[in-house]
Amino acid sequence: MIEAREVSLIYPDGTRALKNINLVIKPGELVYITGPSGSGKTSLLKLLIGMEYSTEGELKVLEQLMNKGNEHRIRKARKLIGPVFQEFKLIDGRTALENVMMGMRFLGIAPKRMKEDAENALKRVGLEHKIHTRVENLSWGEAQRVAIARAVARKPVLILADEPTGNLDHDNAINILELLTSFKDSNTAVVITTHATHLIDGVKNATFIRVTSGEISVQKSEEEFGG
Amino acid sequence: MKTFFYNIGYFILEAFRTIRFNPLSNIISIIGTGLILFLLGIVLIGWSVGDQIIVTLEQEAEISAYFTDPGNPNQVDALTQQIKTIEGVQQVRYVEKAQAKAQMEKLLGNEANILELFDENPFEAFLEIRINLDQIDGILARLQKLEGIEYVRDNREVLEQMRQITDGVKLVGIFIILAVGMTTLIIISHMIRQGIYNNRDQIKTLRLLGAPSGFIGFPFALAGTLMTVLGGVIAVVFLFFIIRGGYSQLSGALPFLPLPEQGQLQNNIISFILSVSALLGLVGSLFGLSSMKNNKA
Repeated sequence: MIEAREVSLIYPDGTRALKNINLVIKPGELVYITGPSGSGKTSLLKLLIGMEYSTEGELKVLEQLMNKGNEHRIRKARKLIGPVFQEFKLIDGRTALENVMMGMRFLGIAPKRMKEDAENALKRVGLEHKIHTRVENLSWGEAQRVAIARAVARKPVLILADEPTGNLDHDNAINILELLTSFKDSNTAVVITTHATHLIDGVKNATFIRVTSGEISVQKSEEEFGG
Repeated sequence: MKTFFYNIGYFILEAFRTIRFNPLSNIISIIGTGLILFLLGIVLIGWSVGDQIIVTLEQEAEISAYFTDPGNPNQVDALTQQIKTIEGVQQVRYVEKAQAKAQMEKLLGNEANILELFDENPFEAFLEIRINLDQIDGILARLQKLEGIEYVRDNREVLEQMRQITDGVKLVGIFIILAVGMTTLIIISHMIRQGIYNNRDQIKTLRLLGAPSGFIGFPFALAGTLMTVLGGVIAVVFLFFIIRGGYSQLSGALPFLPLPEQGQLQNNIISFILSVSALLGLVGSLFGLSSMKNNKA
């Protein structure tokens, strides 16, 4: 599903964001990427969604080479991904429901089913009472949950969530992590970046990747994190 | 295609949202487009009227032949028979002095009282010869050789002048059509570029979610087409009143002017302006959408 070989990312100003990343993520796998702020977690996710392209090495996501020149195929592959952006990327002037449906409109889903799925996704993130509220009138935490609902309503084969609990209180954060991780049971690969390691203490059946200064410093699989 | 039909309502709402996003600028653009299309409509009306006059004059092409001795009935009969044998002559009719005056009175309408200034009927009897216009040169040559014919009057000069005027109107019309087309394309593509710029974050997000370019761009193309058609509607409303006013004025002042049928002219102009506006809107929008490629995601 995801295969990175010696992937590096150097920004145009010369900043090296990632260095020699090697990574394999399989369908149904739950991966937590941790590390301090500025360690390269978001840069790694940007590479995975194709917002940036690696400057060295080879990266494949859903069988597509994430290279310049392959944009058309990358965009097609994105239909299968449920992204949760750190800055949410919701569309102002639209309600929560419209935002969630916006991510589904080009997936060939019949309108009635699309609306039902979008409403269900919003219920699952605890926003059933804010379905018709414009997103600019939501709190940060609520907006974040709309972004998560948009990602999961698409029934993706790969979820890429960048700090999805960053603006949530403890209970909501736990609920959201449970929601996201539940998708691995339907063979969806789930990749979550977080610096809030206390939220994933004791999590089992997951892969934990620690990124420090753009490099993978620790990678643990199928074992209890924090041990 | 399935996705397109599922999202028709969304596309329409998004198109109106694009128009509403920058209302003042878009309203000015719609009015500007309307005025440009109005100009096009005026040229087309001139074109249609000119064409109709030419066709009518050509259909009713007549030559008037005046006699050396108009009072001699034998000469009139003989000449009538001779002229009927000339190739290209369709009909020959003798018009008496009184009839010639009556024809002129009819032609002058309200101004006919000017003829009362004459003590006697100033008009001469003549032969009214209806001809095939293509053969006018040969017919004129034969007529001028006939004994008993003093003078032949043809309306070829009038026809030529009318044709030149209509050709001139057509030439100006072609330039105006080109100018209208270019200007409308520039206005609409600019409006679409503005819309894309205003919605650049939304476009970027949709791309990251995997939306195809057609899905992202269609509401903008629809908005551009709608705005141009709205301009077309404004033009059509003004043209409708111009045609109605023009016909009521001309039918009183120049009743003999062979104008095209009013209803048909209105229908033709309305359907043409609306079709052209939709086409220009679509093409202009597609030009405008090319700027979306620069919106990297």
